[in-house]
Amino acid sequence: MGDLLFLALFLPILTGLVSIFQPQKVSIAIVNLTGSILTSSSLVAIVYKITMEGAFSYKMLYVDHLSAVLLSIVAVLSFTSMLFSISYMEKELANGHITFEMLHRYYVLFNLLIFTMISVLIVGNLGLMWVAVEATTLASAFLVAFYFNHSALEAAWKYVMVCTVGICLALLGTTLLYYAQVSVVGSDFQALSWLELKKMSPDLDPTIVKLAFVFILIGYGTKVGLAPMHTWLPDAHSQAPSPISALLSGVVLSCAVYAIMRNLIVVQAVINHEFLQYLLIGFGVLSIAIAIPFILVQHDLKRLLAYSSVEHMGIVILGIGIGTPLAIYGALLHVINHAIAKSALFYMAGVITQEYQTKHIARIRGLVSTMPFVGTLFIIAILAITGTPPFGIFISKFIIIGAAFSSGRVLLGSGVLLLLAGIFAGMMYYCLSMAFGSKPKYRASSVSIGKPALMAMAISVGLIIVTGLYVPTWLDDMLTMAASIVMGG
Amino acid sequence: MNILTILLLFTTLLLTRVSGLKTAVRIIGVQSFMLALACTAVGIDTGEVQIYVAALLTIIIKAGFLPYVLMNIVSTLQQERENHPILNINYSAVTACIAIVLSYGLIDRALPGAGSRDALATAVAMTLIGLLLIITRRQAVMQIMGMITMENGIYLVGLSAAKGFPLIIELGVFFDVLVAVMVLGILTYRLKLSGMSTDTSRLKKLKG
Repeated sequence: MGDLLFLALFLPILTGLVSIFQPQKVSIAIVNLTGSILTSSSLVAIVYKITMEGAFSYKMLYVDHLSAVLLSIVAVLSFTSMLFSISYMEKELANGHITFEMLHRYYVLFNLLIFTMISVLIVGNLGLMWVAVEATTLASAFLVAFYFNHSALEAAWKYVMVCTVGICLALLGTTLLYYAQVSVVGSDFQALSWLELKKMSPDLDPTIVKLAFVFILIGYGTKVGLAPMHTWLPDAHSQAPSPISALLSGVVLSCAVYAIMRNLIVVQAVINHEFLQYLLIGFGVLSIAIAIPFILVQHDLKRLLAYSSVEHMGIVILGIGIGTPLAIYGALLHVINHAIAKSALFYMAGVITQEYQTKHIARIRGLVSTMPFVGTLFIIAILAITGTPPFGIFISKFIIIGAAFSSGRVLLGSGVLLLLAGIFAGMMYYCLSMAFGSKPKYRASSVSIGKPALMAMAISVGLIIVTGLYVPTWLDDMLTMAASIVMGG
Repeated sequence: MNILTILLLFTTLLLTRVSGLKTAVRIIGVQSFMLALACTAVGIDTGEVQIYVAALLTIIIKAGFLPYVLMNIVSTLQQERENHPILNINYSAVTACIAIVLSYGLIDRALPGAGSRDALATAVAMTLIGLLLIITRRQAVMQIMGMITMENGIYLVGLSAAKGFPLIIELGVFFDVLVAVMVLGILTYRLKLSGMSTDTSRLKKLKG
């Protein structure tokens, strides 16, 4: 198991290094795709071993069912987005948007980002986890700024500045938590290991832990994209190349949610639950509410999807805040569903923007007639992301809101339902206006989309349909175990 | 240690009053050097080797390498000054003083009896003033200064409350700060290169 973890860390680095020395774009694609398949397989093997043998810890590394949930997302998304990257980047090269040197830079940074995301999920220590979360920001900074034009630079500047300041506050919180630990046991080598922290939780000073958690929630909350710290998110997601937007939205945000959950496990054993619940539910509902006006009046396709991510992260934090085992189960399932559905949508947005040469919603018309396959998938994916049955997101939203009602928060449940209806209206309006309507006259009739890109989209949409129809037993067990870990079991 | 905290606070307050970018980078260098001395002082107190390592790293990275890199970037930015900060320098200085009072209040309420009260209050004040600089300054380089100040402040919190992190985490944090400042530096340079000003208040194309 230890070897597997090191392998999963080592493979992306190796892939990145080897791909630097490839002279042709075909060989770059082959190297990266092989590397990505191997990385994903090693992640799947880790997840399989966790479901069989349970938690595993080795020095500074620690994995359990909660990490497994997130690792399986990384396994799926790193593969599909690599598949999509190959077609996408080839077309960018052909269109003259990027040079061949930029292709090398893209794949190196891509692999670095995968490496940092895996490290967030397998370290067993709140301090190192902070280091890894900050590293995801830094690894993706130049991917957001990839085109180095005015908008991309602006987006990257805001992204790094806002996230680094946010994450500095999380460091302050982590420092306070460390102080709380040191004042109980003194500085020994188990510093900030969450297993140790949880064991000694009755002795920790509640005032300090409370203060620490506020900083930690604001800090990692910035990275999750919770309102009102979400301002970097639409800019970064709309300016990054589409496969990167998919990774940022699907995995990087989820990794930050994971960081919050890990801290929460320690903190909720020390201070009273009510304070935490109000805090989390407040941030969650605010994020859902703030996304609505931006979704209802939106001019940019990728920003529309980005604000939808703000909304979905709000729902996840809301689920964690409600805090019953069922709600947390729903929140974790929602993280998976959102990652898959949103990445599929960003891939389609990539194809659409390349084909129409614009991100303006008003100038995208007649998707179904220009690209029948992508257009159909696009409608399915939008239906899925807004929470229509029979797709996975419907199930997870249903569980979370059901949990809100059954825990006696009727007002909260119905309020959130109303907000979701607003978001549904906005998303559907723009989706239908893009999907139908007469196709623009100036466009050539033949549309060529690379096979890898089609595969990436088809896999993602297929998965989102499957999770809607049934949740496999192993996934169900894994989520139940993970939920009980978050509850403090 | 007391003299060092006073000097640290002094450099931080000074930072709210400068408008030349080169001066600001020099002050940050001095501030980080003071931090390294404070680190050494704690090391002498406790006699732990890893604190000396951290002090050495602070001198090499934060007081040496980063100011050097930033100086190079700043010298390519002629005519860029912090002329009209969002909050003018007198008000900034007053706000910074209020931040110091607030920090003492916060420390007395939240962490009563935690080691050295003055050092902790200074640390929190530095964090707040760093944040203030980021919010109220227009120049990209000044915002980077704010970020480094904030990070130095948080480092001082760890140092004075818990005698510093374990070495492996310390190394990770150092590495992240190093890379973060480099990334921001490169972005600043690129902003200049693409024919724009490094005045970040002009970054308002992306909206809605």
